Amino acid sequence: MELNARIPSGPLAEKWDNHKFSAKLVNPANRRKFKVIVVGTGLAGAAASATLAEQGYKVSTFCIHDSPRRAHSIAAQGGINAAKNYQTDGDSVFRLFYDTIKGGDFRAREANVYRLAQVSNNIIDQCVAQGVPFAREYGGSLANRSFGGAQVSRTFYARGQTGQQLLLGAYSALSRQIHNGGVTMFNRREMMDLVVIDGQARGIITRNLINGNLESHWADAVLLCTGGYGNVYFLSTNAMASNVTAAWRAYKHGAGFANPSFVQIHPTCIPVHGDYQSKLTLMSESLRNDGRVWVPKNKGDKRKPADIPEEERDYYLENKYPSFGNLVPRDVASRNAKEQCDQGKGVGSTGLAVYLDFADAIKRDGEETILRKYGNLFQMYEKITDSSPLEEPMTIYPAVHYTMGGLWVDYNLMTTIPGLFALGECNFSDHGANRLGASALMQGLADGYFVIPTAIGNYFGESSIAPVNDSDEAFINAQQQVGDRLNKLLQNSSGGVGGKVTVDEIHKELGRLLWDNCGMARNKEGLEMALKKLPEIRQKFWDKVYIPGSGSDLNQTLERAGRVADFLEFGEIMIHDALNRAESCGCHLREESQTEENEAKRDDENYSYVSVWEYQGDDVEPKMHKEDLTFEYVTPSQRSYK
Amino acid sequence: MSNIDLTLQIWRQKNSDALGKLETYTLDKISTDMSFLEMLDVLNEKLTMEGIEPVAFDHDCREGICGMCGAVINGVAHGPEKETTLCQLHMRHFKTGDVLVIEPFRSRAFPIKKDLVVDRSAFDKIIQAGGYVSVNTGGTPDGNAIPISSHIAELAMDAAACIGCGACVASCPNGAAMLFTSAKISQLCLLPQGHAERKKRALSMVETMDKEGFGNCTNLRECEAVCPKSISIRNIARLNREFVRAAFSEG
Amino acid sequence: MWLLRFSTSSIGKKILMASSGLLLILFLVAHAAGNAAIFFGSNAFQTYADTLHSLPVVVFVFGVGLFAVLIVHIFIGIQLFLQNRKETASRYAVSTKVCENTLASSTMPYTGLLLLLFLLVHVFGFGVNPTDTKVSVLVVNLLGNFFYGLFYLFSFCVLAVHLSHGFWSMLQTFGFNHPRYNDGIMKITYIVPGFFLVFFGAITLYFMTGLGANY
Ligand SMILES: Cc1cc2nc3c(=O)[nH]c(=O)nc-3n(C[C@H](O)[C@H](O)[C@H](O)COP(=O)(O)OP(=O)(O)OC[C@H]3O[C@@H](n4cnc5c(N)ncnc54)[C@H](O)[C@@H]3O)c2cc1C
Ligand code: HEM
Ligand code: FES
Repeated sequence: MELNARIPSGPLAEKWDNHKFSAKLVNPANRRKFKVIVVGTGLAGAAASATLAEQGYKVSTFCIHDSPRRAHSIAAQGGINAAKNYQTDGDSVFRLFYDTIKGGDFRAREANVYRLAQVSNNIIDQCVAQGVPFAREYGGSLANRSFGGAQVSRTFYARGQTGQQLLLGAYSALSRQIHNGGVTMFNRREMMDLVVIDGQARGIITRNLINGNLESHWADAVLLCTGGYGNVYFLSTNAMASNVTAAWRAYKHGAGFANPSFVQIHPTCIPVHGDYQSKLTLMSESLRNDGRVWVPKNKGDKRKPADIPEEERDYYLENKYPSFGNLVPRDVASRNAKEQCDQGKGVGSTGLAVYLDFADAIKRDGEETILRKYGNLFQMYEKITDSSPLEEPMTIYPAVHYTMGGLWVDYNLMTTIPGLFALGECNFSDHGANRLGASALMQGLADGYFVIPTAIGNYFGESSIAPVNDSDEAFINAQQQVGDRLNKLLQNSSGGVGGKVTVDEIHKELGRLLWDNCGMARNKEGLEMALKKLPEIRQKFWDKVYIPGSGSDLNQTLERAGRVADFLEFGEIMIHDALNRAESCGCHLREESQTEENEAKRDDENYSYVSVWEYQGDDVEPKMHKEDLTFEYVTPSQRSYK
Repeated sequence: MSNIDLTLQIWRQKNSDALGKLETYTLDKISTDMSFLEMLDVLNEKLTMEGIEPVAFDHDCREGICGMCGAVINGVAHGPEKETTLCQLHMRHFKTGDVLVIEPFRSRAFPIKKDLVVDRSAFDKIIQAGGYVSVNTGGTPDGNAIPISSHIAELAMDAAACIGCGACVASCPNGAAMLFTSAKISQLCLLPQGHAERKKRALSMVETMDKEGFGNCTNLRECEAVCPKSISIRNIARLNREFVRAAFSEG
Repeated sequence: MWLLRFSTSSIGKKILMASSGLLLILFLVAHAAGNAAIFFGSNAFQTYADTLHSLPVVVFVFGVGLFAVLIVHIFIGIQLFLQNRKETASRYAVSTKVCENTLASSTMPYTGLLLLLFLLVHVFGFGVNPTDTKVSVLVVNLLGNFFYGLFYLFSFCVLAVHLSHGFWSMLQTFGFNHPRYNDGIMKITYIVPGFFLVFFGAITLYFMTGLGANY
């Protein structure tokens, strides 16, 4: 596997412009001869579909839901960053670039991140033009807030529903293209496999989720916009249908998988309640602007929060990080919450929670002001927990939220398989070892609206692509294999050897294994143990999993089983990756690599690279390749938020 | 936290062509902290172990924003709690002994696919007919080029909050889609960006709405009452104005 | 043709319904103003009736206009009723209405038909008048009959119910809906039907109770 990032030459600030100029173009009249497949309709997929169709390519778009508007991006709450510097508080493209690189703990590519910061401004203009109702000042200009530990106000937002509004904007552009005939939309389709012909990505196999039919679709390029894999942990803030299948199938066809162990654990989520818990709910990070995080000073203190006097409370973030206080980056906040709970100071019925207290903010600003800022979040919290944050501190605990790892891509978002592109959370590109708040939406839209058009023109311009057809042997074979695999899953429908287990039981077992050993803190011993344990769970799955119903019908258990089967394989490279990276960086804390003050200790000498995993065959250890990271414009420093 | 015992009557239908009927299941020791969908998960795990096909139901975000979930609980779309999607409804609103009749969102325009799963793609068709501002990617003016008062932005946001779940249609005795259509039209006619196409948009979206088999609005207000995002019928009034204005001066 | 397209679209039909409803309300207002003459004695009333009949053109135009408006109102009302019935009321095993005021709103077609019945009775009673009886006498004869009067009272109640949804609904259809005025609109929605009920009801009771016997 050759890892050529194809970073354009020239000074950092000119790379993107240089690249746009030197990239090959496809003449507008010829574009309709190229067919592009887009899988997933989140920000990245919807934006890419719309834009490529506007430019004249023939686009086929696939979504797993009954409508493209429901993709997982819809759930993003907080906002989207851009370097507009509308507040004249010292922001700039370079500062956004710098913050993102630093926030990612110096494990991202400079050139990509700089481009992201540049394009961020175009995104806001684009969304405003589409009619996205961003929050406004009284005078009519766009409002901003500071978010996720940034020291400037650069986050644009639409109430607590920014992801929804941005996605609906992209969905509307997509709808326009469906209406104009530029995009053919396939709803309720799940991509089951990738078809590679002569080394190029040439199509996909999908399953029609309503009638179970397997379908072949050819194209000249395939764009995976299928989001992150946080659901490998079973419990995460991701939507239930988010999964790794598309990326995993690509990996098995030779696409490199980069930094799979980089998973962001968000500090402010509603704690787990019971075994039946199906997913976790994020409480926007903005709450940390006014809420104070604390635990009782004494272990096992079971008093009600109101009964614990001020001097017996430990505002551990404020004490430990005086200059950032409650606003430290996500990884730091999460890790500290875990530390407190591990010490037995956790609160709530499970002891796995800390308080986020608004009493002081309410005293200072009044209930009305606080409600204006967080009213809908408080309401949501109360709906779920039956407790009002106005009367009692919230309880929060970290939860899996975002995956920085993903398919390895070059500067053009192309994976190691020519013609296969990965956009949005599905790729690994811009966030290094930790993502800053409000940057994922920015990246998804940057990739979809602004980067992919140039990239795809360049690919079509420089490659020779032979004609193929859905009825080619490669498609027939691939479809056959997908069918066989589904049949294998259904084999146990009569109950396997030694009783039945359900898909969710296995998924929970996998999730627990990863959460305990490859979650917020990792160590060699635990990882090695997990690596041994994982194949056992996988075996149990194939032996005993019980799936009622048939494959020629709407069968949600079968759908989940297919996804879990891939998670069970995928988990292994996550663990390999975590094991390989013996340093701590960003969200990846190896307990062996900490400073004296228990902060993550990076090891630039040995680990300043992207780890890229290559498939070597089932049950064969994957091979790791390195893309070395070089920093010309920023100097990696030990992150310190003290 | 406590536990409750329930009797469920759930609509079971194999596919769009099959005939369906209500099946009765009992479920014991349901934690009141569960969400409604988690309760259905528990039921499905139980059915699976008993060798019965689980109940198919749509869902994804489980946070009340994707608009994927929805069913009619004892005659009310999304259940008894106001401004709440089914996934955000918690079992503490029920008590031991309750009988819950769970039916899919029914409407001529929403054919049932299986059990509680319906096809709402008619909504997509309405949006495709004009629920957008016709701008291509790139070449747009600076975001601050057109000032928009925060009041107008907020009104537009009120309308834009629609999650397209279809509860309005499911609860409307006429099966009308006016609340859904008016929400999109309102958002875009309030904002200056949408002005250039407002007449064409109103005409073609309403035409598509009628063609897709939705009923006629008779101002019964059920839609507003069940809407999980409290979209107001003020938007319908606005749509009516938009439509009349367009019909008399365009086309 | 744009007008045809407009009037067959769902919103166009609503607008026609509301417009014809408005004209009917205006007619009722005019009618009430005329009938106010009753309270000024039989001579005044007779003069009013005679003046009206001395202007056959006006009567004809109003008559035809009213008839046309009624036809539109009834025709579209029935059309809406039939179309909306495709969504059967029994589509759910349990059906629960979440809204208030469902009595008036869900019975519009039925209250409407009752009003049609009343109109027929009323027009045949007063309009088609073969015996050349003076109107001021006719009214005593007809409304003096207990059952006839009762039917009138009942119909006015029906009208009140029809309008207790209809008036607000009409304004909503025309696009009047603003948080600042909605309370006021709701009040008027009860005042207007209330006024008609009290006014026409009073006339009827005046004759029914015998107060107007020696009119
Ligand atoms: C609760 C929450 C809040 C967040 N808040 C913010 C925020 O405030 N700011 C911010 O910047 N970021 C936020 N994020 C992160 C951000 O929302 C995501 O990273 C981003 O939306 C990902 O967009 P995407 O287009 O790459 O993928 P997605 O939106 O995840 O879309 C991918 C879609 O593809 C579908 N799919 C997957 N596999 C297949 C397959 N095989 N076949 C067909 N379809 C498939 C998935 O179901 C999914 O719908 C938040 C995330 C969560 C979970
Ligand atoms: C003097 C008599 C009448 C008056 C003043 C009147 C007035 C109104 C008004 C104001 C409306 C509301 C329109 C809207 O919703 O926008 C209405 C609705 C309606 N009327 Fe009448 N009406 C009268 C007679 C009738 C008759 C005779 C019928 C016979 C069928 C009828 C049937 C209906 C129906 C079905 C509606 C409901 C339409 C809808 O909700 O969209 N009305 N009426
Ligand atoms: S599952 Fe997304 S709104 Fe309920």
